[in-house]
Amino acid sequence: MMTSINGKDVRKLVIACDAGMGSSVMLAGQLRRSLRGQDVAVEHAAVDAIPGDADVVVCHARLADRARVGASGRVVVPFAMYLGDPALDRVVAAIRDGGDLRG
Amino acid sequence: MATVHTPPASADGPRARIQRLGGHLSGMVMPNIGAFIAWGVITALFIPSGWLPDKEFAELVDPMARFLLPVLIGYTGGGMVHGRRGALVGAVATMGVVAGADIPMFLGAMVAGPLAAYLMRLVDERTDGRVRPGFEMLVENFSAGLVGAATAMAGHAVVGPVMRTVTDRAADAVEWLVDRDVLPVASVLIEPAKVLFLNNAVNHGVLDPLAVQQSAEHGKSILFTLETNPGPGLGVLLAYLFFGPRRLRPSTPAAIVIQFFGGIHELYFPYILMKPRMVLATIAGGATGTAIFMMFGTGLVAPPAPGSIFAYLAQTPRGASNWVGVYTGMLASAAVSFTVGSALLGFGRFAGDDAADEPADGTEPDAVPPGEAPSGDLPSDGGAPGVTVPEEDAPGTSAPQPASY
Repeated sequence: MMTSINGKDVRKLVIACDAGMGSSVMLAGQLRRSLRGQDVAVEHAAVDAIPGDADVVVCHARLADRARVGASGRVVVPFAMYLGDPALDRVVAAIRDGGDLRG
Repeated sequence: MATVHTPPASADGPRARIQRLGGHLSGMVMPNIGAFIAWGVITALFIPSGWLPDKEFAELVDPMARFLLPVLIGYTGGGMVHGRRGALVGAVATMGVVAGADIPMFLGAMVAGPLAAYLMRLVDERTDGRVRPGFEMLVENFSAGLVGAATAMAGHAVVGPVMRTVTDRAADAVEWLVDRDVLPVASVLIEPAKVLFLNNAVNHGVLDPLAVQQSAEHGKSILFTLETNPGPGLGVLLAYLFFGPRRLRPSTPAAIVIQFFGGIHELYFPYILMKPRMVLATIAGGATGTAIFMMFGTGLVAPPAPGSIFAYLAQTPRGASNWVGVYTGMLASAAVSFTVGSALLGFGRFAGDDAADEPADGTEPDAVPPGEAPSGDLPSDGGAPGVTVPEEDAPGTSAPQPASY
């Protein structure tokens, strides 16, 4: 059940964490900065309350199962490290330069 | 690559289910942390043993703890089940639980709020679309009013007494642990649960409610520190900074700043998930900190949320032994965690090897219930500390850059 989306089609990128108050806010701020000028909204949310119009959801791999419940059919990109994870760089690159995101 | 190797969604695996239940519990408390902090500030300042004892302002302390905080929790819990109308009846039902109780009834609020909201949802589902035009407001107001009145009465007669007993038992159990000096053992459960992302559930879902009750009585509680002490995580991150795989080192200082000063403990979880035996370092550090807190009989006034050194400074009660105890404990927990972590990392002897001996991306089997992780999570390859098993493609091993996005 693999979904994919072209980075250029992403209008809303949601970063999810357990409470939607801590690490997701931090990462959303960072990604918003590196995606400045792109036509994409970067938001944060609790992993059990992902907005229905999210195109791509980014969360820690340990929370990915929960994210997929609320974001079925959407691309969920898991990452392992909060700082400097290549998965996050790939999301930024795909949205900026085009390219498929899968998950 | 994390994006390719992730297993199909097993959304109902035990881990996801426990996380979600925990998410419900902490989700009732966390949006209200601001009110807890307001109460903590007022308590720390104005109670007789506070910084600026003041009889007038001290009158706020008791009603805030007994009414405001539980009602906020019941309101939020109700809202999670059935939106604004659920929140409304959740608050009313919680009032039934707290009225007449002489302790803050957080657990009662966590039960009564969602239950009342669920009843409201059932009622709304029955009346939906069957109301004569022009009578919607009448029906909506009175259905909520009647459900609220009924659940407040049920809360007062049934939920209150039952949860009072549960709360008393839980408080007795904690006291038992403290009296026998075995509270530090709690770290064996708490530290593994934390890195499995049950940190908020454990802290705000379980410990906060008991801790606020203690703090309302004694002006401080050690339970606030059990999960939130930033020392053990700091120790592990420092161990990685000096002795971890070289490619992880550039991003570690930033993680330290965010963890210790920003209070976002999640930053250190990946460093333990990639080498599960490192949880022994945080267990040792956490137990050390708790033991020292107990020795000094110290605690915090209100939840230090997030678990940052700054939140600690704000919530440490007045008194030399409180301050010496809290910060000695925190430093010692960091030192012990650093020492054990460094030993587990072989003091850098394997720094050039692959970063991980377990995939850090959550692909390992689901069933790692909190508490069993210390033994269950250890490598079964006879892994002496520091022996690394190369693991291709584990994210986190592929040369992370310093935070640049």
